Amino acid sequence: MDLASELMSKLDNKISFTIPVFGGIPVPESVVTTWGIMAFLMLMTIIFVRNLKMVPTGPQVYVEAIVGGLNHFFEGILGEEGKRYFPYLGTVALYIGFANVIGIVGLTSPTKDINVTGGLALLSILLIEYSGIHAKRVKGWIKSFSEPMAILLPINILEIFIRPISLCMRLFGNVLGSFVVMELLKYVIPAVIPVPFSFYFDIFDGLIQAYVFVFLTSLFMKEKMEA
Amino acid sequence: MIVTAIGAGIAVLTGIGAGIGIGIATSKASEAISRQPEASGDINKALLLGCALAEATAIYGFVVAILIILFLK
Repeated sequence: MDLASELMSKLDNKISFTIPVFGGIPVPESVVTTWGIMAFLMLMTIIFVRNLKMVPTGPQVYVEAIVGGLNHFFEGILGEEGKRYFPYLGTVALYIGFANVIGIVGLTSPTKDINVTGGLALLSILLIEYSGIHAKRVKGWIKSFSEPMAILLPINILEIFIRPISLCMRLFGNVLGSFVVMELLKYVIPAVIPVPFSFYFDIFDGLIQAYVFVFLTSLFMKEKMEA
Repeated sequence: MIVTAIGAGIAVLTGIGAGIGIGIATSKASEAISRQPEASGDINKALLLGCALAEATAIYGFVVAILIILFLK
């Protein structure tokens, strides 16, 4: 019973501190970690964007490779007309990637909190519907719900709710699942053996999930944008 | 307590379907890559999408199992 209660105490989201206004606003740990990731990404951006040259040298080569790779990936799905959404999608990819692998340095991943993944999924569905409205105007967007057949109307409307729930649950479940498996493994064998598993569950799975999240978001956007 | 544990165990059985599905998808993808190595980029993309969607069923089972353990004490 000791393991179960220990696991449960690690699963719930701790409150790190309370802002003493309006009777106290609780700030969960996931928000604090998110602020840390935001500060880190911002700092990296400021450091690497200074002194950009036409012919890249040094770290600029790697930064260009990362940004170019992300843009190329989104361009392959969304095409030229989706260029205005690349910065948002790239930012979300970087944030989820960092949030998933941050568990390796001992911090709790923000994506282990279902509220974080729910918020990200909500933003995604808003962007998906917005891209549809922007590409086809309101009339075309409403009409797109009755395609390819009018009988599919209820299913198409249900999709608005199913898609964010499935995006949210996929990310949350994966991060939580790998977390639980890692904790069990550390409980049984505390040394050496968890290292390769940590590489798989923390790094590989975390990056794959970040990739899948933005991949599905951009795929749904493409579907909405198509005439 | 025992009944809760059995329920959670049954919920996690969804993993069987996801495992079989991803296995079939991967075998077909490696077959396709060996036939047409130049199309490996597109095949990888489709495989990853299929795996993500197939894996979701296992994840739902896992989330349901966790919810059963947490809320049905």
